[in-house]
Amino acid sequence: MKKDSTNEDSFLIQKAQAGNEGAFNFLMNKYYPRVYASLYSFTKSKEDSEDLTQQTFIKVWQQIKSFRGDSAFFTWVYRIAINLAKNHFVSSSYKKDKSNLSTSDFDIDIPSHANPEQDLMHDEALNNIKQYIDRLPETLKTAFTLRESDGKSYEEIALITDTPIGTVRSRIFRARENILTYISEDL
Amino acid sequence: MDNIEEKISALYDGELSEQEIDEVLIMVEKDSNLREKISKYGLLTSAVKHENNNIQSIVAKRKKPNFNFWLSNSITAAAAVMVTFFSLNQFDLNRMGEDISAKNQINTAINSKEAKDIARRAEDNLVDHVMQIINNSQNDSLPSYNIDLRNVGYTRMDPNSSIYNKGNKNFTLYIEKKNLGIKKLRNWQHKDKMIYVVPLQDGRVLTLYGNIDQESALEIAKSIKN
Repeated sequence: MKKDSTNEDSFLIQKAQAGNEGAFNFLMNKYYPRVYASLYSFTKSKEDSEDLTQQTFIKVWQQIKSFRGDSAFFTWVYRIAINLAKNHFVSSSYKKDKSNLSTSDFDIDIPSHANPEQDLMHDEALNNIKQYIDRLPETLKTAFTLRESDGKSYEEIALITDTPIGTVRSRIFRARENILTYISEDL
Repeated sequence: MDNIEEKISALYDGELSEQEIDEVLIMVEKDSNLREKISKYGLLTSAVKHENNNIQSIVAKRKKPNFNFWLSNSITAAAAVMVTFFSLNQFDLNRMGEDISAKNQINTAINSKEAKDIARRAEDNLVDHVMQIINNSQNDSLPSYNIDLRNVGYTRMDPNSSIYNKGNKNFTLYIEKKNLGIKKLRNWQHKDKMIYVVPLQDGRVLTLYGNIDQESALEIAKSIKN
């Protein structure tokens, strides 16, 4: 699998395909909120979104060897999630699928976001992310925005901002930490 | 701890060297707080992606224009300019019979300042319209139109009302003579409601705002056209 901008996760995916649960766990924790949010916009139910997100990652784990890297990893995961959500609306098959897929069949520790604090944090972040980004010092804001909104690589950000890659890495990390602190303070 | 968290942040972005990945994965496996950290970074990405798709961002973006949000729309408007430009030069192109020339003309048209200005103005009108609809919905006094939608199953509590209902679908309807430069249905999501703007054949614009799906919006537009 080639390492390019569409597959920033290629090393982790290769490890997960070779059975490395740690790599799969990392990917799952990374994409869980986005899959959950996508499913929530589809189902409008927190409980169903939680169930479907867990089922999505069980399927991803079962099928990860078939991922060839033709699309971004999230696109592939998203497709699985949406297919599950479509089945969800055919209630009989949803119940059938649900009984066939159980987290107890796997050693993977599927994260759960079904707790009030995570819910609050999610809502707070969704509603006010722009405000939090605006509170960042300018250098952190630029690095974070180029990365998260524009999908630039660290190398590209380094070129744009005329900064060493190590500094870019540090700025993006500090931007994330600052935003998480702002959110916690507002909860 | 900062060092491992910074490495997690870099691995999250796919920017950690292969040698460092194993070290991070082992530490993450041992520490549930680190796993939670990855999810929190994921939550921020989710929020940024959501913001980019949310109608609320229009307000902020209009104060400080960001054309990324409107890129696809701008291309549509720029393409309209391109078609005009292309037609004007059709005679010359036919005479020369050179594809390369046509390609250059098209590229020039798309990238011209004129195309960009027109695209920006067209989208500004559309954004103004959508914002006006959202603001209107928060006022008590809504305009009323003599539009009967009973043929497609929608009724009003009061004949002077502009709020229509059918089962769990309900929406506010607006019909105005406006040139928004759109040729087909456009839609936006605002919180849990949808906004559909549909150009009618007679030059008016139909706007529906509420809990309604696209198929129903098109059905209503069609019934009004007929």
